[in-house]
Amino acid sequence: MTKRKTTVVEGSPESFSPKKRTWYQTFWRYRILTLMCVPAILFFFFFSYMPMPGIWVAFVDYKYRKGIFGSPFVGLRNFEFLQQSGKLFSLTRNTVLYNLAFILLGNLLAIIVAILLNEIQSRWFKKVSQTLMFLPYFISQVLVGILVFNLLNYDTGFVNEVIRHFGGEPWQPYADPHVWPVLMVIIYLWQQTGYNSVVYFASICGIDAEIIEAAKVDGANAFQKIRYVILPMLKPTIVILLLFALGGIVRGNFGLFYNVIGQNPLLYETTDIIETYVYRSTVSDFNFSSASAVGLYQSVVGFIIVLCANGIIKKIEPDYSLF
Amino acid sequence: MNKKLIAAFLAAVTAASMLTGCGGGEALADPAAAPTTDEAATEATGDDSAPAAADIDTSEHVVINYMTTGDPPEGEAKKNLDAMLEKLNGILTDKVNAELQIYYIPWTDYLSNYNLTLAQMDGSVDLIGTASDWLDAWPNAKDGAFLELSEEMLQTYAPKTWESVPKEHWDLCKYNGEIYLMPEDNYAQWTNHGYIYREDWAKAAGLDKVDSWEDLTAYFQYVTEHQSDLGLNLAWDSDGTQYGQMASGWVSSHSDFISIDGLAANALWGGTKADPYTIVVPQYDDQEMMVAYAKEMAKWDDMGIWSTDVLNKTTSANRDDYRIGKVAVEQHHTQTWTDLCSHTDNNTIYTDPNAESGFFWFGEENGNVVRLNITHGAMAVSAASANPERALMVYDLIRNDKECYDLFNYGIQGVSWDVNDEGLRIQPEGYNPDTQNINGMTNYWWGRNDDLEIKDASRNWDAIDPMYEELDAAAIDYPYGQFVPDVDEIQSYIDNINEVYTNDMKLISYGKYDDKGMTAEEAVQKLHDDLKAAGIETVTAALQEQFDALYK
Repeated sequence: MTKRKTTVVEGSPESFSPKKRTWYQTFWRYRILTLMCVPAILFFFFFSYMPMPGIWVAFVDYKYRKGIFGSPFVGLRNFEFLQQSGKLFSLTRNTVLYNLAFILLGNLLAIIVAILLNEIQSRWFKKVSQTLMFLPYFISQVLVGILVFNLLNYDTGFVNEVIRHFGGEPWQPYADPHVWPVLMVIIYLWQQTGYNSVVYFASICGIDAEIIEAAKVDGANAFQKIRYVILPMLKPTIVILLLFALGGIVRGNFGLFYNVIGQNPLLYETTDIIETYVYRSTVSDFNFSSASAVGLYQSVVGFIIVLCANGIIKKIEPDYSLF
Repeated sequence: MNKKLIAAFLAAVTAASMLTGCGGGEALADPAAAPTTDEAATEATGDDSAPAAADIDTSEHVVINYMTTGDPPEGEAKKNLDAMLEKLNGILTDKVNAELQIYYIPWTDYLSNYNLTLAQMDGSVDLIGTASDWLDAWPNAKDGAFLELSEEMLQTYAPKTWESVPKEHWDLCKYNGEIYLMPEDNYAQWTNHGYIYREDWAKAAGLDKVDSWEDLTAYFQYVTEHQSDLGLNLAWDSDGTQYGQMASGWVSSHSDFISIDGLAANALWGGTKADPYTIVVPQYDDQEMMVAYAKEMAKWDDMGIWSTDVLNKTTSANRDDYRIGKVAVEQHHTQTWTDLCSHTDNNTIYTDPNAESGFFWFGEENGNVVRLNITHGAMAVSAASANPERALMVYDLIRNDKECYDLFNYGIQGVSWDVNDEGLRIQPEGYNPDTQNINGMTNYWWGRNDDLEIKDASRNWDAIDPMYEELDAAAIDYPYGQFVPDVDEIQSYIDNINEVYTNDMKLISYGKYDDKGMTAEEAVQKLHDDLKAAGIETVTAALQEQFDALYK
């Protein structure tokens, strides 16, 4: 934050004037810009900062009639159940590894797709392929779960019907935990790539056409254009999106895992993430406090990871860090 | 300048629209709002020093919202329901100047939504259908969602209910000395589980009747061998959620275990008939019995009784398939069997004159069955209700007033039901079960009353009465009605135990442990070890302590 401010002040001619402006004068000077920020400020104030005191629910024995702040304080008891389960490590590991795969492969594929789309000359083909890739994003996770089950189940699944037709040995993925990391990543990519590529596609479109023309004049072929112009220009977008994504690295994709894996304990070894575990073990007693405790744990870990990642980026490329 | 103005205007408009957007959401999100409404409610009730019935002020017309689980009816069915409600509300307005509305908690994720609605505490519901075993009556009472019903309140506003429920039964509705529930204690029903099967096919399999798990295996052997001749899709189109009932069924049949209701979904803890007040967990203690179970279920799995990926199935239409003869069993309780064994329009299997449905109940081998806990169905009043007195008055009428009772349970006479010469309830001409079954829309399972019930003529009483007698002769009363476990300190253990039990027992109950490369012995040992690691002994000890304090 400080870094930006100083650049702005240095850049403006007034910064050399001897009289230092008061807070109010600064505010009045930038009133239009501030006004344009108001919706965002209000949004975050109401939906992110106002509910924050409610975190207290993670430390109390919540009783409806006493309210969050009237309920008795119980310290860290609500955090105990996750630790007692002895699964904290394996759940966190699964969650983080899946998210890493989703973030890295997801962004990589999105960049590739965006560049390829950009290179397509036929307008018609570009639109059709973009729409087709975008479509899965709008399919509800519940339907995705049903689709996958109907493709892969042993008795009547499409894949096994084909295998049987050709005289092969049917495949039983719903009894084999080791195939799911690959399957989950494929399902995720199928669903999200079209959507993710839009941001990259937009930033490619935003690249100054003169630069690309200049590269062409200099004799750059298509690959050189991508390698030396488009990718470097995309770098800030990539870094920012990665940083944002890292903040949620301990937050699992509940909808996807819950609907595709369901409640099949044969597969939990490789597919159980924090969210699905917490859902299963707290849904029976409706414990707000335990669920909030887990949420707080995830937020704190996510916050630390963002700070670390930002710190590292600041060391390497100070211009790209978030703050 | 112009641009600046437009920008400022746009920003202001967006900000304004956001603010209005927030206004609506704030009331819901603000946690402080809940206690205020609630205080008002308690104050209102606290001030009443039990006025005589005649003094009750009913000058203000109020709407009482009755919350029940169930999917809201639509279209024609809704019209019929509304017609009934209009008639009923006419009577309620005359008598207590109130009207009733139904607030539905749909079946999808019903327990979460039920609890969430109660947690809102915004006065949107008044009367709450609840249950100590299948809906979280006690946890909600503890969390403060239900109003304490003082004896004066009950005597004043629900006098008939107060008189009809004996003192021992009120005692079973108390937590910390306060009454929270009005029990459905005068309605004969059996909800002990078992397997509903086809007696005609059992005879063809060489069995007189199925009355043990071994007989079931023989029955399954026969039906899977003749699957296509019998026109079956599967012997049993089970979904992956039946593991718990199956396992506790096996335990009932092979021990004298009695489980404690309402502790956790899987009802692991309990006593025995011989020694009711010493807590045991057969699935944990008796490995030999569980190994036999695991082996039997692996046999079933090998026979292909259920679908191969049964663990990924969460719903199935097994009961409807049973009605039309596409499956050979249904696992559910006696009450469901009374429907499936009756020659109704829905049950098309009985177009075959030989078809008959039998019921093998869990525990039949050794006569181990427990009578229903009276709080299996009960009515509570929301602590956030603005009109708890009127809610009680309405409940007193629909529970005890013949006219209201008939309307609320059966619908309008001559349209939804009628009485035949023998005094049995029949369906009048032109009756459509899809749109006129009022009983299936009001879902009133929280105060049915055998004094007012009219026997259903379509039920197969020739088969049902002997079954009731058989169960009645074997059954003992539920011994732990007064035990409301205090689980705050051990809840985290129970959550984890539930989780490992669910995971391990699913593999055992569906014979899938071999997919993990385990033998029956290893699978049962893993269950034992996991339960131990999750702290089952700590929970058992804590419950035993509470038992001792109550019963010794």
